[in-house]
Amino acid sequence: MKVLTLTVNGTKHQVLAEEHESLAHVLREKIHLTGTKLGCEQGSCGACTVLADGAVIQSCITPAMRLEGSEITTIEGIADSEKLHPLQARFVEYGAIQCGYCTPGMVMSALAFLKENPRPSRDEIREAISGNLCRCTGYKKIIDAIEAYVKDIAGLTEHKAEDPDLKFKMLGHGRPYLEASRKVKGAAEYADDIQIKNALHCKMLRSIHPHARIRAIHTEAAQRLDGVKAVLTGKDLPISFGVLPISQDETAMAVDKTRYAGEIVAAVAAETEAIAEAACKLIRVEYEALKPFFDMEESLNDIGAHEKIHSHTKFNNNVHKKAELRFGDQQKELAGAAHRLKMDFTFQGINHGFTEPHGATAWWDENGLSIITATQVPHYLHRFLAKVLQTPMNRIRVIKPFVGGGFGGKSDPFPHEMIISCLAKITGRPVKVRFNREEVFLTNHGRHPSRISMELGMSNTGEIAVLDADIVIDGGAYGSFGVVTSYYNGVLLQAPYRISNFGFRTYRVYTNKPQCGAMRGHGAVNSRFAVESMLDVLADKLGMDPCELRLKNFLDSDTFTVGQYRITSNGSAQSLNKVMAQSDWKNRYKKLEYGHGYGVACGFFISGSALPIHWNEYPQSVVHLKVDLDGRVLISSGASDIGQGSDTMLAIIVGEVLGLSMDHVFVLAADTLLTPIDLGSYSSRVTFMAGNAAKMAAEQLRAKIMESLAGHFGIDPAELNFAKEQVFTNDRKVNLSWLEAVELATRRVGALNSSGYYNSPKLGGDFKGAGAGLSPSYTFGALVAEVKVDTSSGQVRVLNMWGAHDCGKALNPLAVEGQLEGSWHMGMGQAISEEMRFENGLLLNANFLNYKIPTSLDTPHIYANIIETGDPEGPFGAKEAGEGALHPSIPAIANAIYDAIGIRITALPIRPEDVLAKLKLKQTEEPV
Amino acid sequence: MEISEKTYTNARTVSEAMQVALNSGGNFRFIAGGTDVMVNAFQGNDNTVHLIDINRLEELKGIVQDEHYLRIGALTRLDQLKHVDAVKREFPILIEAAQAVGSPLIRRSATLGGNVLCENRCIYFNQSEWWRMAVGYCLKCSGDVCIATGGKKACFSEFASDTAPALISLKAQLLLHEPGGERLVPLESIYSGDGIKPLLLPRTSLVKEILLPRAQHFKSAFKKLRLRESLEFTSLTVAVSKDMQGAARLVLGGVDPKPVLLELQPGESREDIIKTALKKGRAVDNDMFSRAYRRDMIRVYIHQCLNQIDFQS
Repeated sequence: MKVLTLTVNGTKHQVLAEEHESLAHVLREKIHLTGTKLGCEQGSCGACTVLADGAVIQSCITPAMRLEGSEITTIEGIADSEKLHPLQARFVEYGAIQCGYCTPGMVMSALAFLKENPRPSRDEIREAISGNLCRCTGYKKIIDAIEAYVKDIAGLTEHKAEDPDLKFKMLGHGRPYLEASRKVKGAAEYADDIQIKNALHCKMLRSIHPHARIRAIHTEAAQRLDGVKAVLTGKDLPISFGVLPISQDETAMAVDKTRYAGEIVAAVAAETEAIAEAACKLIRVEYEALKPFFDMEESLNDIGAHEKIHSHTKFNNNVHKKAELRFGDQQKELAGAAHRLKMDFTFQGINHGFTEPHGATAWWDENGLSIITATQVPHYLHRFLAKVLQTPMNRIRVIKPFVGGGFGGKSDPFPHEMIISCLAKITGRPVKVRFNREEVFLTNHGRHPSRISMELGMSNTGEIAVLDADIVIDGGAYGSFGVVTSYYNGVLLQAPYRISNFGFRTYRVYTNKPQCGAMRGHGAVNSRFAVESMLDVLADKLGMDPCELRLKNFLDSDTFTVGQYRITSNGSAQSLNKVMAQSDWKNRYKKLEYGHGYGVACGFFISGSALPIHWNEYPQSVVHLKVDLDGRVLISSGASDIGQGSDTMLAIIVGEVLGLSMDHVFVLAADTLLTPIDLGSYSSRVTFMAGNAAKMAAEQLRAKIMESLAGHFGIDPAELNFAKEQVFTNDRKVNLSWLEAVELATRRVGALNSSGYYNSPKLGGDFKGAGAGLSPSYTFGALVAEVKVDTSSGQVRVLNMWGAHDCGKALNPLAVEGQLEGSWHMGMGQAISEEMRFENGLLLNANFLNYKIPTSLDTPHIYANIIETGDPEGPFGAKEAGEGALHPSIPAIANAIYDAIGIRITALPIRPEDVLAKLKLKQTEEPV
Repeated sequence: MEISEKTYTNARTVSEAMQVALNSGGNFRFIAGGTDVMVNAFQGNDNTVHLIDINRLEELKGIVQDEHYLRIGALTRLDQLKHVDAVKREFPILIEAAQAVGSPLIRRSATLGGNVLCENRCIYFNQSEWWRMAVGYCLKCSGDVCIATGGKKACFSEFASDTAPALISLKAQLLLHEPGGERLVPLESIYSGDGIKPLLLPRTSLVKEILLPRAQHFKSAFKKLRLRESLEFTSLTVAVSKDMQGAARLVLGGVDPKPVLLELQPGESREDIIKTALKKGRAVDNDMFSRAYRRDMIRVYIHQCLNQIDFQS
């Protein structure tokens, strides 16, 4: 330890630091400037970027001692107290901020670069931020924001007169997130930024065996270490859990046996992270290795005398779930089809790659347990904490802070949340945990590796006659959302095309690897890839344009699918027509030189799961509104904003109904003590469900005010208008400010508040499995991709993506565009660079260096088109935009590769070496 | 908990750095940009006790030209090179190579001296301590077997520097400061070819300058195999520079524990060159790209690079 003197943002600090401590650690833990984020701790993501004596550095890999006497500038030093730096202001205005976790680093990188090069081209900007990973935005709006700022400083920005009514424009007007300024200043607090006084630190010991019986765990030496307060093993928390009631197959730590390398075997709470880590190394575990299962085919088969991964599975194999639905006899129909095609596909698993690692702090007091944690689903965590800790729900409070991205990866209750809650109880102290990036990857719950064998039958004129899919998905060691995933792989194929004869069978198998779960586009992404690739093949066979083929087969609006999904609004054709026109499809497809191609695909997804996971009659979303004498409407909602903008969405809806600006709206969200039930941010349900609840609550509040005022003034309530923070009749005989209206109304009713709720209508057929994939509404979209393939290396470069997505109505177009751009970017990652690669059950690439999220330089131009079809039941016609858009992006890229070089892609990711191998094979088969 | 014995020294002069090094009982390392050292320390792959920071050593800074050489101070940040006229004019391939390193952020911290000394990499070695324990420790971390090959004799960790192949092709030399005095060595001579201990230099060697011979009128080409356009270590680097006589130095990185140097004479057949390169580059399956693919790409990149410099075969 040494005294280190640093001047940070103009203030001199003297801190006691470890000799080799990173600057990031000193800034965050000792100077409490938590705007500097940790995403990878290995210099591979840029979230920790700061300036040292004016030079840009990554503080996670810079030793603090080097900077003795230096001037450090962090994100907190960029804004001039309340006034944002003009670049920050552009980030806010352009919607460059979603989850906000990469934002501070991104701003710091951009500022340093612009100092060197104040007039950069767009490509130079792309290059400059290519060391900063963003998982939400697809970089588009970040680059737009920087470009706008460059224009500003060059004096090229035309200043328009400010629209005085702008602040009252709600629906359909793009607006930054409510909290965007806080995020861009580095002031938004994520789980690891929150310091609870006197907290202990938790570290985990993880299994080094993929499948092994635990003979004994010796914790005595760890317990004896000074500073260690408690050590837990599996037996201390033996109650099982799992997000789905039907697969409660997981425990907080391995009990008796471990099922994947990386599973938590023991946990330590200690005074410091270093002590906790040292204690973990002193724990000795006696394992007896069992035969591990890594391959999904193997897990399908009888395993003979070996031990199964889970004893509860039905047969002597590792099959977790078989899901099968059939409408008609597929094989018979296929036998008679004019064109019949069978193809096999394989998909590697991928991870969400959110930039904020999991983190949480738990403590107990007179109110029971409180936990602040990076979660998408406070409600499900609430339930399972109650179960595992055997504590009633009314003694548990789950608080969601700002969350640095989720994409499905923070939508399960997690072992670490159970563990720190238990440790906090035992020690009587708050306990904090934060994961490093490797632990995030080992926790996984990402997209399932899959093998899909699919058959399609088609008429001579291009009508899809039949679809049959045979699917195996690799669930890893535990259940997670896997039963739902199993169904979604199949059922979500019954649209957007008319298919009257349709069937599938999915096996989800256990293997000895980290578990898979829900990830953006849940369940349907890989099977959608198969269908869209096969349509491309069939179009070729029939000599039809693949767009024409799709247009011919689209379902109509207001119809039912073969499995009795109720289709209401449907923007398939508009989406496809839009991207065809924008990409100049007719003149480009099949007309480009060798190595250069165009491809198209379409998509389909649910807009909220109609059935709750825990079957009950409670509403799926409730929103309360509270109004007091300050005139501010407090929106209390359990919906979890994880960067997708749901808080802002709620505020827009309430503002729209009540004629208020954001000055009179305040959102309190996702705290299970203070906010009403909402099932969480998964299945693309929040805008539709919480949005409808908010709308209902706001309308009720308005009705109450109208009624009171009508009584007071002796008029018909219907005469009253709510606009621009005024309540008035057309003849202006009543002409009140919002505050006056609230005061008058409160005087009459005594207390002014309201509630709204949402529950899906009863939907679906009367057969087993009919509930899978039911949704009150569905979304549709299309995408055209342009690629270039380097035929000497097999490397694929995506040049352009023109996408369109039917979101019903864009409540906040800026946020919707951000969701679409981010979805397509994430799809591109799965297409060309991302995979979780295992060797003997060990994840080889549990870091941001070798898990390859596309950088800004790898990301093409993205053109986002919002299609509005006005959903009959969505709030103001809105439906989801956060997941469904992803689906067409991957097959569109693969189909473009076919157009470019005549190679059909049947495996993801599209590895250059596979492309090269196929090219070579083709050359030997068809000599030029 | 014991109080850590670790130290960090900000050396002011070369002699101070040397003094601290000599007094440290051998467990020390010079640290410049730290982009390599700190990551290896985070992973538990570098447990050096005494870090000696050399960033303040004026003797290692600056870029000067004399009659014969362009002398680049070892502390020159990779990103700085693109602003140096003499480099732009005579050695543009060095800029290309430097710009291929890591990300713009890495390049603003990482130094040229540090990059040529960059620790070798292997997908079975550059992992956390937990991971290496789970896989059963490889040769490079005191285990008794190479996980990549199953062999027990040799470690094939990849030579990871992007700038070294370019520099070697340009006949670069290093000016080393050592306790016994200064010496000038060809860059290629410092690499052992042993993946466990890839450098032949004593720990007390301090790279002061990288010297490039002037007025050679090199014609050069550079290629780096990577999946993304940023944030990547190399999976294969090919650098070639042809001098005025038509002879060329072809250097491969990323496919052997050391840079593979081929001295090419005009007229040498392409097939022979590629054959030799494939033989000398002992690539194994220790990378996100397969060995087979990287070997395929050796052929492709050599062709492309030699075409680019009009090398007569």
